[in-house]
Amino acid sequence: MTDTYLRLALAESVDEVLEKMFFVRTLGEPRDQAGEPAVTAHLTFDGDPPGWLTLRVTAAAARSVAADFLGEEESELSQRQIGEVVCELANMICGSVLSRVESNTTFRLATPQLIASGEEGEPAGRQPGIPPSATTLAAQIGSGAITVIFNTETTACSTAEKHEF
Amino acid sequence: MAYRVLIVDDSPAMRAFVRRVIELSGFDLSTCFEASNGQEALDLLRHEWVDAILTDINMPVVDGEEFLRRLATDELLRSIPAIVISTDATENRISRMLSLGARGYVTKPFLPEALRRELEGTLGAPCD
Repeated sequence: MTDTYLRLALAESVDEVLEKMFFVRTLGEPRDQAGEPAVTAHLTFDGDPPGWLTLRVTAAAARSVAADFLGEEESELSQRQIGEVVCELANMICGSVLSRVESNTTFRLATPQLIASGEEGEPAGRQPGIPPSATTLAAQIGSGAITVIFNTETTACSTAEKHEF
Repeated sequence: MAYRVLIVDDSPAMRAFVRRVIELSGFDLSTCFEASNGQEALDLLRHEWVDAILTDINMPVVDGEEFLRRLATDELLRSIPAIVISTDATENRISRMLSLGARGYVTKPFLPEALRRELEGTLGAPCD
């Protein structure tokens, strides 16, 4: 799968998941997020190819999407609930991207792990290094930004690419 | 007729979302049970009857595939219709889950009405 195809699959997946399950739309390129605390979830997947996805949502946006998803007031949400929703968002985006990847095996997604809770003053935590082969997508959503990093250990092939041959 | 539904998913956020979607969709729900994996669901089904099961696939302890296998071999539980809710939209996965006994398959992300349609279709309940 070329980087262009993967970026398109990632963009379509993020848009579809946010619109259908969180009732929000992406609003193009994000504003500068430097220094903003963020809730970060990471999950790995087995299959052909294996790989991982990391999702970073700035704290304000994470609280907002969690409120939309759970139907609660933002002020009533706990950090635990926000983390669980961001993990579920990562799970859905990853599953959606992998469904667009042609493979002879069935992918198995691991349980998403929260690697940063987005609380003020939190240490940076163990953010995975970003390999050059990874595909990154960042977008503005309402009060914050979302960044998705998707990486496969070997080259993937999209269904669209396969059907070209 | 009001229905009793069991939601099986290891994500508390997803269980809460599915429950809210069912309630808001106008589906005639009387009781909603929750379990965080297939084993918890089987334990619950020993003492609670439900009309339908909504289950995830990737779960710890007993995953969705094994859960469906155990349901199918249980004389008392095999008649309860199970609908899979999963991010996996590949044909391989869908056909495998249907062959294991799932009566329906809803791919995440989904619109609320899609879940209601699947539930009502599986239960033979009237759609509006």
